[in-house]
Amino acid sequence: MRSLFVCALLLASSACAYDRFDILTASSVSNSRDKDWKPGKGLVLEVSGLCWIGPDRLGVAIRKGEIWFIDGVLGNDPAALKYTLFASGLQEPLGLLPDGDGYLVVQRTEMTKLRDTNGDDVADEYLTAARGWSVTGAYHGYAYGPERDAAGNLWITLNLDMGDRSNNKIGWRGWALTANSAGEIFPQAAGLRSPCGMGTNRQGDIFVTDQQGNWVPATPIHHLRKGVFYTNPEGIASQNLPGSPLKLSAEVPKNIPYPDAVRALPEMAPAAVWLPYNKMGRSATDLQLIDAVGKFGPFDGQLLAGEFTNSAIHRVFLEKVEGEYQGACFSFLDGFPSAVVRLAFAPDGSLFVGMTNRGWSSLGARAYGLQRVRWDGKSTFAIKEMRAKPDGFELTFTEPVDPISAANSESWKLHSFTYLYSSAYGSEEIDPQPVLIKSAEVAADGFSVRLYCTGMRELYVHELHAPGLKSATGQTLPDPRAFYTLNRIPKS
Amino acid sequence: MSVARLIGLGWLAGVFLTAATAAPFVPAFERFSAQGGGAVLFSELGCANCHSSADSVFPRRGPVLPGLAERVQAGWLRDFLADPQAARSGSNMPALFSGPEDPRIEPVLHYLLSLKPAATKKRALGKDVNAERGSELFHTIGCVACHEPSPDFHPPTGRPESSEFTYASVAFPRLQAKYSLESLARFLENPAAVRPDGRMPNLGLGPTEALDIAGHLLDFQDSDPRNASKLEPLTPDPVQAAQGAEIYTQLRCAACHEEKPEKPAIEPIAITNPAGGCLSEARGGDHPFYSLSEAQRTALQTPTGLPSPIHSLNCVACHANQGTGGPDAARGHYFLGDEALGDTGRLPPPLTGIGRKLQPAWVTGVLEGKNRVRPYLQTRMPVYAGQAKALSTALHDARSLPALAKGDVEAGRKLLGTQGGVNCITCHTWGKQPSLGIQALDLSQLTQRLQPEWFREYLLNPAGYRPGTLMPPLWPGGQSMIQDVLNGDTERQIASIWAFIANGSGLPLGFPDVASGAFELIPKDRPIVQRAFLNGAGPYAILAGFPGGVNLAYNGETGQPARMWRGRFFDAYSTWFVRAAPFEDPLGSDVLDWPESAAHEFRGYRLAADGSPVFLLRIGGVEVSEHFSAAEGALRRELSWNGALVEPTWPHPSGAIVAEEPGGGTGKRVFVYRWKP
Repeated sequence: MRSLFVCALLLASSACAYDRFDILTASSVSNSRDKDWKPGKGLVLEVSGLCWIGPDRLGVAIRKGEIWFIDGVLGNDPAALKYTLFASGLQEPLGLLPDGDGYLVVQRTEMTKLRDTNGDDVADEYLTAARGWSVTGAYHGYAYGPERDAAGNLWITLNLDMGDRSNNKIGWRGWALTANSAGEIFPQAAGLRSPCGMGTNRQGDIFVTDQQGNWVPATPIHHLRKGVFYTNPEGIASQNLPGSPLKLSAEVPKNIPYPDAVRALPEMAPAAVWLPYNKMGRSATDLQLIDAVGKFGPFDGQLLAGEFTNSAIHRVFLEKVEGEYQGACFSFLDGFPSAVVRLAFAPDGSLFVGMTNRGWSSLGARAYGLQRVRWDGKSTFAIKEMRAKPDGFELTFTEPVDPISAANSESWKLHSFTYLYSSAYGSEEIDPQPVLIKSAEVAADGFSVRLYCTGMRELYVHELHAPGLKSATGQTLPDPRAFYTLNRIPKS
Repeated sequence: MSVARLIGLGWLAGVFLTAATAAPFVPAFERFSAQGGGAVLFSELGCANCHSSADSVFPRRGPVLPGLAERVQAGWLRDFLADPQAARSGSNMPALFSGPEDPRIEPVLHYLLSLKPAATKKRALGKDVNAERGSELFHTIGCVACHEPSPDFHPPTGRPESSEFTYASVAFPRLQAKYSLESLARFLENPAAVRPDGRMPNLGLGPTEALDIAGHLLDFQDSDPRNASKLEPLTPDPVQAAQGAEIYTQLRCAACHEEKPEKPAIEPIAITNPAGGCLSEARGGDHPFYSLSEAQRTALQTPTGLPSPIHSLNCVACHANQGTGGPDAARGHYFLGDEALGDTGRLPPPLTGIGRKLQPAWVTGVLEGKNRVRPYLQTRMPVYAGQAKALSTALHDARSLPALAKGDVEAGRKLLGTQGGVNCITCHTWGKQPSLGIQALDLSQLTQRLQPEWFREYLLNPAGYRPGTLMPPLWPGGQSMIQDVLNGDTERQIASIWAFIANGSGLPLGFPDVASGAFELIPKDRPIVQRAFLNGAGPYAILAGFPGGVNLAYNGETGQPARMWRGRFFDAYSTWFVRAAPFEDPLGSDVLDWPESAAHEFRGYRLAADGSPVFLLRIGGVEVSEHFSAAEGALRRELSWNGALVEPTWPHPSGAIVAEEPGGGTGKRVFVYRWKP
């Protein structure tokens, strides 16, 4: 197995303060298709679930239905990596979570508890841990999870069916559910389309990404909670089933601007953050909290969002304003060798990046792979946070800014836009309006800038450009853009 | 005259009063009148047929008249001549008579019905007709791009609201009064035979499809086409017909209705009074009356230049062009295809830049009904045989673009593939070879379709050329992601992909050799357990293959065994690696099925020390396990429980020899299933 340190192809936003260690990448499933191939020979590491097990062991779920343990992942010696097949014969497991004396995976038909009861490091129990959603056999009926929130709920998200055999009118397709330890499921929220990655923030609140498509104008990150509806109504019929926590109080609106739709339908929860299509990737996957006590750079408390098509990872800053989450997204790392699908941290601050691009396509041309990303301790100039204020925004930076360029309001450009809420496949940005930056005030330490603005609009995406901004040492931003989803303008 | 005809006339008489103000309907004028509306009208009302000596490339003609007697009801034709707008709202046919009482109508009617068609061989009509199937076709193959959808058809994304319709539909005449089932079906089968100008295009319908759509449009609910009423014959009176022929000449009917009228030749008429004549607001005088709307009258006073053929032929009903056109939100509901490809999987491609994109010979082929490369679109590209060469020439854009660099065929083979390439075949099909993921457009004939220079520009910025495409920019910012092929030279890499498609043989690298059975699961030392979608066992199937060639499919939804078979176990390729997740079949033979029976609560499974599966159930509150193993070519099923189980019936596979091992006793039963010799 070849291994190498990779400083990935430097694209616009790559911060090379992050080293990449290649654990396994390969070009095709067909490299295991030689004439003598038999099950168990060759490892098609199409990563669909990742979890840290420790002390030096990573758990990896792969799409063909296996769970692997990889030992030695924190070392730099590829020859010392040891692969153990823990479980097999699953059907598209799309998550992996340690749970007591075993592991939970959600596969197409159920959540399964895998356990090794005889100590040989191989699962011999595949117990049904929760089930009860509709499985028609339509190819798009993926099921994801589980992810645990602060209250201990196990969250599962379900795609809408597509293609032959589809039926989204039954059995919670397009919903997020929770399961308890008795195996009961509790439908929680509706209106999802292809919610392929979840993650919690530091408070233990849980978030999910969804995919741009019919009824989903761009890439949203939603705050999961009980009794809300997001964007896609194709699976809303399940609200009439016993156990539904939701009953829409009005018709689902359509062909109106998204903010108007949110106002027209009380149960419709606005996306916490929009990742504008093409500007910030095309298809977000996993969410992963950075909680590495500074070992992964200065971004603790923020979320990372995997990006499939562009083979990248974005960074997301969230804050809660007037009871609703909102925040900003920034480009972060790109140039991965395949589509980024799953993320997991080791306690030493290593980020494991699981990849597979089968079925769609990605900028990274490899079919699958697993890499470890480490911060090299060097700081790079970036917008760290973007906070909403009653009269503008506050930005913080990883390095002090040059006070002259930062105080020049010409260094900044801000405009807001939204999307058309309709059944169409994605939306253009509509109703753009400039936001006037009256002044920019630099903090004494140079680590933050206050922008005083007029013309901010609630429920609109605010796109900031800072092409003229320099750091105190004269660096420009690798990517001068930030996208803030302003659900609420703070009152104070 | 039958009662039905009288009622029909009465109905039409009512329409005379209400619809007499309808104006001719020209789709492109309605939607795009701001863009040279006068020119579109001048072309589409056939003005050039009388007023221009130059040959128009895409002339708007009236229908071919010989053969009318076999095509339309005489009564309808009489009404149409009397007031075209009343008989068919939006007609482009001008009123040539003063009204229903005009004595010239009857002779002209007799003359028209006396015109014999050129002898043509007719295809046999279909044997059965299905209006429901016709409705499905009508609403999904593109008819509703121009015509109004029925309110009782529900497209999958919901019936559009009236507010979503942003432009009017091309209205039908009262079809039951005009056509018989057969005559409408024959018209739909080949509209170009009687309307060679292509405005009603030929959708390439088969005889059954044409009959079904005709059945839908005529609301014909019988399944036997022979039960449909026929056209009512009117035997033309020779005296009247001769008189009608003279009127036909006086009225210059041939200018529109004959392609090359010879006797007498039609001399162009100079336009002397741009506000009067044909543009008059009122019927009367010796000019045709077009019943123009005020906007049309105004636009026609300044017709400039030639309209774009894509407006004349209304290509923009289906195809967007430079940000306009294509179906609006309402009609968009009826454009269906492969959801996995997003909007590009259901909407016909935009025409923006088409003259630089496609090779002229390919465009000609497309218009002639060949060269169909988007099998996922349900909307059908019509055939414009009569316009193909001229339209292809008109669309071609000869401006030159930078040529491709020199390509390397073998580098192209690698780049197209998944082994160190840019993974084109992950999404794109190659000839008959399905792709590895979504089934996007076939690449194997791309060099016959595209112009190489356009191909290069497209690869560098796909979204700039096809908004909404799922195709990522594989050379972001012009930089190659593949450094070990041709030194990462973007230009040579793109040229090499072109070179392989044009000149390479064989397949791009990385198509799996499915035929080799390389993913066959072969239980050698231990059983293999694998979940899959299996025909006969459902989406919750759990397969178990045992060494020795005994195999089981267990239904994990109902907690019941479902199928057993002998010999080879299962090919896992599609289950493991095909995005479409097809339902599979057992690989071996002698499949025996369990009868369906009441479901048990399924709790998962354990693997015994030898790897054989022990399925866990709860029946009536009692934990029951079901251990399957194989021995000597038989399947052994051991049921065990602790507690007071009210034993359900344990169904057995149909056709199997069933034996029960003795000594089961309390809490245990063992069945052994064998195949009959």
